[in-house]
Amino acid sequence: MGGRLWLTAERLDGCCITTRKSQRLALERGDADTELASHGRSLSLLPRGRWPGPRPATECFGRDDGTGHDVSLIVLVLLLIGVSNSKANPAAPPHSHSHSQLDVNHKKPIQTFRPYNIAHRGSNGELPEETAAAYLRAIEEGADFIETDILASKDGHLICFHDVTLDATTNVAYHTEFADRKRTYEVQGENVTGWFIVDFTLKELKSLRVKQRLSFRDQRYNGKYQIITFEEYILIALYADRIVGIYPEIKNPIFINQHVKWSGGKKFEDKFVEMLLKYGYKGEYMSEDWLKQPLFIQSFAPTSLIYISNMTNSPKLFLIDDTTIPTQDTNQSYYEITSNSYLEFIRNYVIGIGPWKDTIVPPNPKDNCLAQPTDLVARAHSLNLQVHPYTFRNENQYLHFDFHQDPYAEYEYWLNEISVDGLFTDFTGSLHKYQEWTTPYQKKEKNPEALLREIANMLKNDGY
Amino acid sequence: MASLRMVLVSVLVAMAVSAGGVAARPLVGDGGAWEDRAPLQTSRPFNIAHRGSNGELPEETAAAYVRAIDEGADFIEADIEATKDGHLVCFHDTTLDDTTDVADHPEFAGRRRTLEVQWANVTGYFITDFTLTELKTLRAKQRWDFRDNSHNGVSPIITFDEFIDIALNAKRVVGIYPEMKNPVFMNKHVRWADGKKFEDKFVATLKKYGYGGKYMSPAWCAKPVFLQSFAPTSLVHAAGLTDSPLVFLIDDVTVRTEDTNQPYDEITSGEYLDYMKKYVVGIGPWKDTVVPPTKGNLLGTPSDLVAIAHARGLQVHPYTYRNENEFLHFNFRQDPYAEYDYWINDVGVDGLFTDFPASLRRFQEWTTKKKD
Repeated sequence: MGGRLWLTAERLDGCCITTRKSQRLALERGDADTELASHGRSLSLLPRGRWPGPRPATECFGRDDGTGHDVSLIVLVLLLIGVSNSKANPAAPPHSHSHSQLDVNHKKPIQTFRPYNIAHRGSNGELPEETAAAYLRAIEEGADFIETDILASKDGHLICFHDVTLDATTNVAYHTEFADRKRTYEVQGENVTGWFIVDFTLKELKSLRVKQRLSFRDQRYNGKYQIITFEEYILIALYADRIVGIYPEIKNPIFINQHVKWSGGKKFEDKFVEMLLKYGYKGEYMSEDWLKQPLFIQSFAPTSLIYISNMTNSPKLFLIDDTTIPTQDTNQSYYEITSNSYLEFIRNYVIGIGPWKDTIVPPNPKDNCLAQPTDLVARAHSLNLQVHPYTFRNENQYLHFDFHQDPYAEYEYWLNEISVDGLFTDFTGSLHKYQEWTTPYQKKEKNPEALLREIANMLKNDGY
Repeated sequence: MASLRMVLVSVLVAMAVSAGGVAARPLVGDGGAWEDRAPLQTSRPFNIAHRGSNGELPEETAAAYVRAIDEGADFIEADIEATKDGHLVCFHDTTLDDTTDVADHPEFAGRRRTLEVQWANVTGYFITDFTLTELKTLRAKQRWDFRDNSHNGVSPIITFDEFIDIALNAKRVVGIYPEMKNPVFMNKHVRWADGKKFEDKFVATLKKYGYGGKYMSPAWCAKPVFLQSFAPTSLVHAAGLTDSPLVFLIDDVTVRTEDTNQPYDEITSGEYLDYMKKYVVGIGPWKDTVVPPTKGNLLGTPSDLVAIAHARGLQVHPYTYRNENEFLHFNFRQDPYAEYDYWINDVGVDGLFTDFPASLRRFQEWTTKKKD
């Protein structure tokens, strides 16, 4: 066991992490806001003002489903790191692991020779979506990127959550103290009724517990895990024992900016990028900086992506919804935003598109078989835009009959026939297995385009 | 594909011949032009296409079997039952309702009735009330509504002979895995002129096509076969007629054997398997009795059945593996390949009855190290 892990961990809901490592890390970061403590007192890795400090033990255990034990997530994270590291080199003397858990130079790099395995909302086929557990599982299972949707709480905290309402994936309905908060708002032109995330402070959100969205998936983790913050999600990635990319979405920005206000005139997009910059995410796609901390920023709203383009040179991806859905900010149709002229325009700001896979290769509704593929991928590729479709799921109700209820047949088709560059999957473990079994390493012979790209990157890194 | 066309043509010819009531001549002899076929693989667990590739096509049709062979199955599996006039056909249920369009045939409307099958009353159109000619007017349909139903109404029921032809006409050596299905019911409702029983006719058909030889003998490797049945007396009887390998099927823990009325605990005991070992080379249990699931749809504690069987040199071929997530326990995270991984590598079975031979084939090809 490497000497990394002496810690008294408390939960991620504002309770604090105590480690000598984290003390040193805080020093390394030179974060003036961070409170340093002598050994035995708790230390916050997170800036003061956000967190009121360590809570008494009774408050650290919020409401749950009565099983009586909440998962201590930082323990989980760091234990996993410690365990995997000690397994990695059992013969080494304990004091040899002297470098920081955040030291990327000693971590296995992200693979870039085959399409990206993007764990959509974490390993949410197995665990409730967007929880620390789902992200940790995804990292265990080999994901290249962990993906999340960022929304905002009433008091302006950025959190990982997909829906604007809490109904489908939390136990909010059982919290009688929030019973009167159910209401109706307009979201992207439709009236939606429920408990809206923008009506809850972070502290209130932390009192809730997440559940598995889909009834035919494993329900045994319902009530165990909390909603996590954007910050906590980033830490999960940074503390992994190999380089794991993050893939956060600027989610429902119109709605968020409408309902949540930040001081200093900042908007949702500003706070989003601030958080990334705070943790050192920067660098163009495939730059040295980017390879150390891989990142894609995604959004359905083109103006949000354009707005942040001056604030960060990190690669961005333009998400495209179904053919009937117009963009929430510019009210443009699917056909307009997938036209050549629009793609040429958006190419100035993004390096790729993320379409719904059934718009790329529409299914025939009569027989649930694939119909003729569109030319979207070809046109995107000709403009040097990557394509990362969503979402791949193992359950047979999501698989067109061409795939014979075999999710690996679907991966085979999209990777080998359609040749996409990344896949958002609910089952990152299955995709990883498929890729490891069929393309475990890079082929020796490189195509000319790949070589040229490599040379271009080398020149770029040298300042040309 | 030329091979597919050839197979289908030969099957159609065989069907035309047999429909006239004449026993089909074997189209392929003991070798000849097909002697150079790639042999059956025996280095890893058998990929047994349960009722053909019935995840994709209606079960037990020629199309399902040809698809299974294309997809790399080691064995194609069929349930053999008997028609009113004593022909052996490939069909699973005793009634035609779930997998044919019999209900759309007004000429048969009066034949629906209730009979006792394994101590339970069953109502429907019984296969033993139809001649082969009548059965051939029906068309098969996919049993499950969540599977591809686009081939409904296309394929007829096929005979045991036609099933064998499909295997023998394949471009590589493909084994057959026929079951003496519901033998008590068959012998009760169908009589053969020469006083022979269902089991006799079954074995005679195999011998007609040259199937014979102990497991792994050269004769067996040229024409691989496993005979299977839930009825131990049928297996014992067949063992007296052929030296081909036999497999003893075992149903759920609540089901008693249809001929000897024995419970699960008795027929899976060490003593009973010591007895059956004289007649069979393996057992075929329902996989949820080998590793019973919990109420939370997770794998529970494995039973010792595989160990008991293996200790007696008996193979274990569990049934049935299906891709659809409703059939997968949550340990497998809705990934059929994770299930194959567990059963092949953790439990160590010797063969798998699967509705999806293509998936099993891919799993085995991708994960089994090839010999150089």
